[in-house]
Amino acid sequence: MFDEKLTAHLAELSKLEFNNEELEKMTEDMTAIVGLMDKVRGFETDEKPYTVEPVSYGELREDNYKASYPTDNILKNAANIKNDSFVVPKVV
Amino acid sequence: MKISGIRKRLDSREIGAVELTKEYLDRIDRYDGKINSYITVCRDEAVAMAERAQKLIDSGNASALTGIPLSVKDNICTNGIKTTCASRMLKDFVPVYDAYAVEKLKNEGFVMLGKTNMDEFAMGGSSQTSYFGGVKNPYNTECVPGGSSGGAAASVAAGMCAAALGSDTGGSVRQPSAFCGVTGLKPTYGAVSRWGLIAFASSFDQIGVCALSAEDAGYVFDAICGRDENDATSSARAKGGSTELIGKDISNITVGIPREFIEDASDEVKEAVQKAAEFYRQTGCNVKECSLPSLEYAVSAYYLISSAEAASNLSRFDGIKYGHRSGLGEDYNALIKSSRSEGFGTEVKRRIMLGNYALCSGYYDAYYNKARRIRAQIRNEYRAIFDSCDVILTPTAPTPAYRIGAQEDDPVKMYLADVCTVTANIAGLPSVSTVCGYSGGLPVGMSITGRPFDEKTILAVCDRFERDFERKECCL
Repeated sequence: MFDEKLTAHLAELSKLEFNNEELEKMTEDMTAIVGLMDKVRGFETDEKPYTVEPVSYGELREDNYKASYPTDNILKNAANIKNDSFVVPKVV
Repeated sequence: MKISGIRKRLDSREIGAVELTKEYLDRIDRYDGKINSYITVCRDEAVAMAERAQKLIDSGNASALTGIPLSVKDNICTNGIKTTCASRMLKDFVPVYDAYAVEKLKNEGFVMLGKTNMDEFAMGGSSQTSYFGGVKNPYNTECVPGGSSGGAAASVAAGMCAAALGSDTGGSVRQPSAFCGVTGLKPTYGAVSRWGLIAFASSFDQIGVCALSAEDAGYVFDAICGRDENDATSSARAKGGSTELIGKDISNITVGIPREFIEDASDEVKEAVQKAAEFYRQTGCNVKECSLPSLEYAVSAYYLISSAEAASNLSRFDGIKYGHRSGLGEDYNALIKSSRSEGFGTEVKRRIMLGNYALCSGYYDAYYNKARRIRAQIRNEYRAIFDSCDVILTPTAPTPAYRIGAQEDDPVKMYLADVCTVTANIAGLPSVSTVCGYSGGLPVGMSITGRPFDEKTILAVCDRFERDFERKECCL
């Protein structure tokens, strides 16, 4: 059974936050969605879980050196940079 | 106008590549305000690309797509041009490289008119969840264009590009193509590199094509397919040549119709698809009933696996290296949470939550692993069908386009509407949708699905129908 406690737990795992109203609505939506997903529980099969066909390692590219993308261009997409580095809140 | 017609006009110098590009840009200026199919229009870049294309044409070095104006879905990376995924999270993101598919098109000398609107992070079937506003159906602007490649399909239908690159994770090229009355090709998984396609569900995602005909879709597919060293799941089996059976006799083809797909379709869809089946019978094809018994589990299995993959793929959006960064959040964890909560829309949050639910210890075997078993079962059922059929014919969607606002707030209703398309992604098969009728002025779509890497057969079968079917233009 889906309740707000489970929604809050999943929000924590998902690195998302909801106010009370959003939490209530998300719980309502997730109850309905998981109700649809419950369909799979009634399926009986001896099939093994599918995994994408294994990659043929013979086809992997050579491990050659090549230039990276320009640092300046990459850093342009970050909101906060200093000395060619990403700025984050103090961790320790 | 179809690509083959444009090619003739360009090669005979009836029109120049720049003049042609400006005609399309003018049309976008004039009409896109009505349907909102583009997020970014690349005016200067398009004209510069057209000038380069004209040089190739003048020097006798033109290939199939030289000078052809195309649009690109906004989840496909384009070097130096914003790629937003229709999300606040990436609203200012400018990639530093081109997706492999775009790089291949540039090698052909194509012209990129702009980046098309879509459901946020390609999660949806209506193109109404875009941060930049919803897309409207060019056949009836009160209706949805389908999704998630709604901008791609609408831009083709409205004559705002010759063809479009989209992406298809659970039907996102085919269903909007059906709703907007154009042709939509989802290639075999692995046929087109996913390098530069912003990941949603990596084991399903595939770049595809919206076009005015199966033949046009084949031209674009041939230009973008093939092995790419940057995508280990891309395959050397995709070698192009997908249009080589077009125009050839298809009377030796066996067309299977899985009964489960027809059962839940609306009356108008059922009628149009049955008429198409009759057309193939008249053409000399062997049309027979077949069965995909596990279809009833397909939607749930698809959403469990794709959401689990989405939860993992979208964990990279933390507001630090790129993407929206919140002004709130005093510590590292709080910054990530507020950036993600502000950056993602409701449907994206639902998918991340569902994915993490399916991957939680205690639920993993009951949901995620069970869904993967169903995936294996569906693949086996398709294999059995293709032992005796060359292609299968199904509706592309259970209904034609519906009114904006009718079901976007009901996630279960939205998910169930994907029933006709998700199995091709589950099994990694190529599938093409084309318009097979009209109901209340809105197009109805059918899909032809085939064996892995057999794009040329499905395109030939689709083309045969298109040659005898009168497609109606939309009127903006």
